[in-house]
Amino acid sequence: MKLSKKILTIVFTLVLAVALVGCGSQEKPKAAEEGKKDAATDKLKVAFIYVGPVGDGGYSYAHDLGRQYLVKEMPDIETTIVESVPEGADSERVLTELAEKGNKIIFATSFGYMDPVIKVAQKYPDVKFLHCSGYKTADNVGTYFGRMYQARYLSGIVAGKTTKTNTIGYVAAFPIPEVVRGINAFTQGVRSVNPNAKVNVVWTNTWYDPAAEKEAGKSLLETGADVVAQHQDTPGPQQAAEEKGKFGIGYNSDMSKMAPKAVLTSAVWNWGPYYVNTVKAIKEGTWKSDQYWGPISDNIVDLAPFGPMVPEDVKQLVETKKQELIEGKFDVFDGPVKDQTGKERVAAGQKMSDADMLSFDWFVEGVEGTIPK
Amino acid sequence: MTESLLVDMRQITKKFPGVLANDQVELQVKRGEILALLGENGSGKSTLMSILSGLYRPDAGEIYVAGHQVSFKSPREAIKAGIGMVHQHFKQVETFSVAENVILGSKDAGFTMNTKQVEKEIAELSQGYGLQVDPTAKIWQLSVAERQRVEIVKMLYRGSKLLVLDEPTAVLTPQEARELFQVIKQMTTRGQSVILITHKLNEVMEVADRVTILRNGKSVATRERSQVNERELARLMMGQDIIAPTKRKLGNLGQPILQLKDVSAPSDSNRAGLCNVSLSVREGEILGIAGIAGNGRRELAEAIVGLRSLTGGSITLCGKDVSNFSPREIIEEGVSYIPEDRLGSGLVPNLGAIDNLILKEYRRPGLGRGPFINRKLAKEFALRLIESVGVKLTGLEAPVKMLSGGNLQRILLARELAAKPKVIVAVYPVRGLDIAAAEAVHQMLLEQRSKGAAIVLISEDLEELLKLSDNIGVLYKGTLMGVLPVTEAEPEKVGLMMLGSQPEEVKAS
Amino acid sequence: MIKLERRAAPSSMGLVLIPVIAVFLALITGAIFLYLNGLSSPKGITWGQVFAVYGGMLDGAFGSTYGVSETIVKAIPLMLCGLGVSMAFRMQLWNIGAEGQFYMGAFGASWLALTYPELPVYLMLPGMVLLGLLCGGLWALIPGIPRAYLGVNETITTLMLNYVAILWVNYFIFGPWKDPQGMNFPLSKPFEPSAVLPTLGSSRVHFGLVFALAIAVLLWFVLKQSRWGYEVTVIGESPRTARYAGMNIKKNIILVMFVSGAIAGLAGMAEVSAITQRMQQGLSPGYGYTAIIVAWLAKLNPFAIILVAILLGALQVGGYSVQTTGVPAAIVFMIQGALLFFVLGGEFFNRFRIVLKNQGKVEV
Repeated sequence: MKLSKKILTIVFTLVLAVALVGCGSQEKPKAAEEGKKDAATDKLKVAFIYVGPVGDGGYSYAHDLGRQYLVKEMPDIETTIVESVPEGADSERVLTELAEKGNKIIFATSFGYMDPVIKVAQKYPDVKFLHCSGYKTADNVGTYFGRMYQARYLSGIVAGKTTKTNTIGYVAAFPIPEVVRGINAFTQGVRSVNPNAKVNVVWTNTWYDPAAEKEAGKSLLETGADVVAQHQDTPGPQQAAEEKGKFGIGYNSDMSKMAPKAVLTSAVWNWGPYYVNTVKAIKEGTWKSDQYWGPISDNIVDLAPFGPMVPEDVKQLVETKKQELIEGKFDVFDGPVKDQTGKERVAAGQKMSDADMLSFDWFVEGVEGTIPK
Repeated sequence: MTESLLVDMRQITKKFPGVLANDQVELQVKRGEILALLGENGSGKSTLMSILSGLYRPDAGEIYVAGHQVSFKSPREAIKAGIGMVHQHFKQVETFSVAENVILGSKDAGFTMNTKQVEKEIAELSQGYGLQVDPTAKIWQLSVAERQRVEIVKMLYRGSKLLVLDEPTAVLTPQEARELFQVIKQMTTRGQSVILITHKLNEVMEVADRVTILRNGKSVATRERSQVNERELARLMMGQDIIAPTKRKLGNLGQPILQLKDVSAPSDSNRAGLCNVSLSVREGEILGIAGIAGNGRRELAEAIVGLRSLTGGSITLCGKDVSNFSPREIIEEGVSYIPEDRLGSGLVPNLGAIDNLILKEYRRPGLGRGPFINRKLAKEFALRLIESVGVKLTGLEAPVKMLSGGNLQRILLARELAAKPKVIVAVYPVRGLDIAAAEAVHQMLLEQRSKGAAIVLISEDLEELLKLSDNIGVLYKGTLMGVLPVTEAEPEKVGLMMLGSQPEEVKAS
Repeated sequence: MIKLERRAAPSSMGLVLIPVIAVFLALITGAIFLYLNGLSSPKGITWGQVFAVYGGMLDGAFGSTYGVSETIVKAIPLMLCGLGVSMAFRMQLWNIGAEGQFYMGAFGASWLALTYPELPVYLMLPGMVLLGLLCGGLWALIPGIPRAYLGVNETITTLMLNYVAILWVNYFIFGPWKDPQGMNFPLSKPFEPSAVLPTLGSSRVHFGLVFALAIAVLLWFVLKQSRWGYEVTVIGESPRTARYAGMNIKKNIILVMFVSGAIAGLAGMAEVSAITQRMQQGLSPGYGYTAIIVAWLAKLNPFAIILVAILLGALQVGGYSVQTTGVPAAIVFMIQGALLFFVLGGEFFNRFRIVLKNQGKVEV
């Protein structure tokens, strides 16, 4: 007993000593070395950090598809990925390390990386940071996101045309503006073709929980819904629909593989073109920090191919509406827009401002459910 | 000669760190005999039998079973060779039936159990040997004696030719012990051999054919029972004559110290608790309490020391009502307690001698200031106590569970008697101890008595009670059948009271 | 034929050798998977590159000032939570709730920082520490009191309260505490500088390290030198003996649960104050659970907990670091898992030996 305690004490002292010596030693000789190597290969280094594993089949996967597209389009760059990075203490370290290792462009693909991105960006002014879905910018920090609500609107048309019970389920993630906006846009789409339909919302408070999300989908289907849409990364709700012989609208990437008989279409991210454009702009020196919120005309959001059960006329209708959105003939929240209580929130002839859309905290008419405050 | 030997252990030597447990031990067992293996605690009996039953491997020496040399690597191999050990503390699955416990762990049990067949075999087997065991009964329904029989049946079922019984009577009442001896005698008529590990001389004289005596790890002698007497056995075992107990003078009894009035308390299970027990113990008195296990002996001790709450009646200490005081308050009133399970509830097995000796002292200011314990003072305190009882320890930090039963009890007594208690409750204080240690414990109790302590001595050993007590009370089904002065307490009388007779009836008969 | 035999006592050689062999086996296992993973990549892989991954992990965790400092940052909550649960484990109270106690500690500290942002630093930080301790401790009392008086199994209650704590905190960051400038995102307002724990130089190593080291020393001292520590030790070793000696077991269960939770709560306070500097989701990536492993690997010794926390912290920091060389996260997690598997599995061989029948014995 005594001896082992002594050994522990000694080892501990040694570790502290090593740590202290480490602290006293010269700063980052490694980075310099890395830098030299970069000069030799002369490849622009671009890094991506993901909150989930790239194989999640959802959000992080969609970003990685974009990265793969980027690599294909620009073979002279080198990309690095770090996956499954929690949004707490770890992200700041990973960002710092990526900057240290000579990455000149870093895409931080999850909202929770916002504060760390700003902090690290201050220390590395010559590295460009692009933060997905956030709202803080700096000279070398830009944000990017897509107007997913436009794709959601189009998917809502498909759902509105498909439902027989006039009840559509929506498995919602967290009550944040992005999700609320998606529900509202989807409902606008549904009601544009089926004014009697309503959209029932269930919150899971998860982004990635296959079991919970599937259960939520089931509960909606059991209470009368015959189409379920969703906002999470797993295809759980779609699988629930498949098992019950009902329909679903996927999200993030094409979910038809996981539930081929149920998925009508999916509202999908298409990050590739944005990544290519941004990296090119930075390389050419034309990039400036901004808050990019890409519309469907930039092809950053889209619908996945329709399932075989979607009739031709519906496909035609969606295609027409998509063209109108692309051409800017209308937008999803053009007035008049009423909220759940019937109060007019956007007057006829008015357009909803981006700021209002970015802080949505109310549901449009036709949504059944509440936003937890 | 060799032909008639079932087991022949030659020159067995086994070392443990710091201890030479067996030193060139010789042991022979003939077919169909009962061999007593006699020795004090720590003389190497258990080690030797653990080697024979495959638990340990000897450092040197040879073992022959039926003339063939063997080297067991596990108990299973020993069982296969026909050697079955019944441990003092055997393990059984309480929720299983007897039959299931018997086949549990046996190699040929296979994946599915043919319980019916096994039950039949067990019934036949137990009848043949006169062992009353119901193969379908669940273990939890059985008494300790019955469980022990199950364990014996298990070994017989597995084809054991030599049964090793490790102090089997330690957990039995005298009647049960007698029954057990009858059974094993019957077994030998059917060719079984039995090794009886014991340190009780009377058991050797009662049942053994031969006896091998171990002392300090060496086999000092092997005798035919007919050629020895208890006195010689004692001399061989201890290397000296026992001092015959001197006629004891009755103490001078003073004021009543501990008084129980109509005390009732529940028991843990469906056994009898305490009902309306009244008694009084005076200064300088040893009140012996006799009673068969399960008749309220433990409950009585726990009620006095505050570990069992009363449902009725009152307890007073020097006139002060201490009914339902917490154990801590009772300790502070000057009550010491030597519990039945000394390692499990009287000591902390994994802690060292110091930590065990300060168990009742650590709160007192003598060991340090404020919330702290001064380790130096604690050590000095512990050393003083150790010296007072004359225990030799290898280290003060070594877990006490490594100590022998006698040393454990000395340490416990040293601690309990250190605070000059007014009342001492002692339960089976010499159970499992060898003669010398038991004698030492008795002397310590008598010394406390002469200092004026009021002592409640609860024991299973009538001889011990008669030797030490001033008065003897008998518990039966939770009630006190009566208290007799020791001069009137003939063993037969007390025995009948233990079985439920009133003192008056006994007198009348 | 291979057989198992119980050892009479753990061999002293094994105590040293087995962990070393376990680590070695874990690294070999990891290497095999790395190699197989590399084979399927277009570039192929050599064994040299496989072992370079380990070099990379070591380098990432200890190879630079930054690496060392980040390893310590990662280890601080593990140290504190580990010290917290070790206290309960010592009394055989299976407090699995350090995660929830961590969150509640962070919650209490955040409440002060957000409700009275104008407090001067000399009131703010001590206040946050106090509330962190208090909230973590009180949260642990919720399962502690029923355990003491009714014998309610604390393993289940502490575990379930973790989810309650996280949802409780979520309620506040989705509701009352939501940053008005946060575009409705689930974040509290950032703390004022007065509510941020000081850090060592420009690194992120924060004052929580001092808390952890001080508590380690304190726990060691209390257990060794105080009457209360003695009681805790006796109760943990043998509750029946403790009752016999007149110790108040109920009171001690409650006290120990409080202390255990309070230390985990302090971890939450330090993390929210020094690292995120605002209340947000995902504050802990499972520190409270990893802490259980820390406490066990350290055999509940306070100083060993500090050491093991640093090693586990290094494993994670190094793990993320080698991801940048193209090693998938799953492989890194697998190496970490293999390490724990082999070290804990190695314990088995401290208690048993393997015997090859008829071929003499082979000690492992």
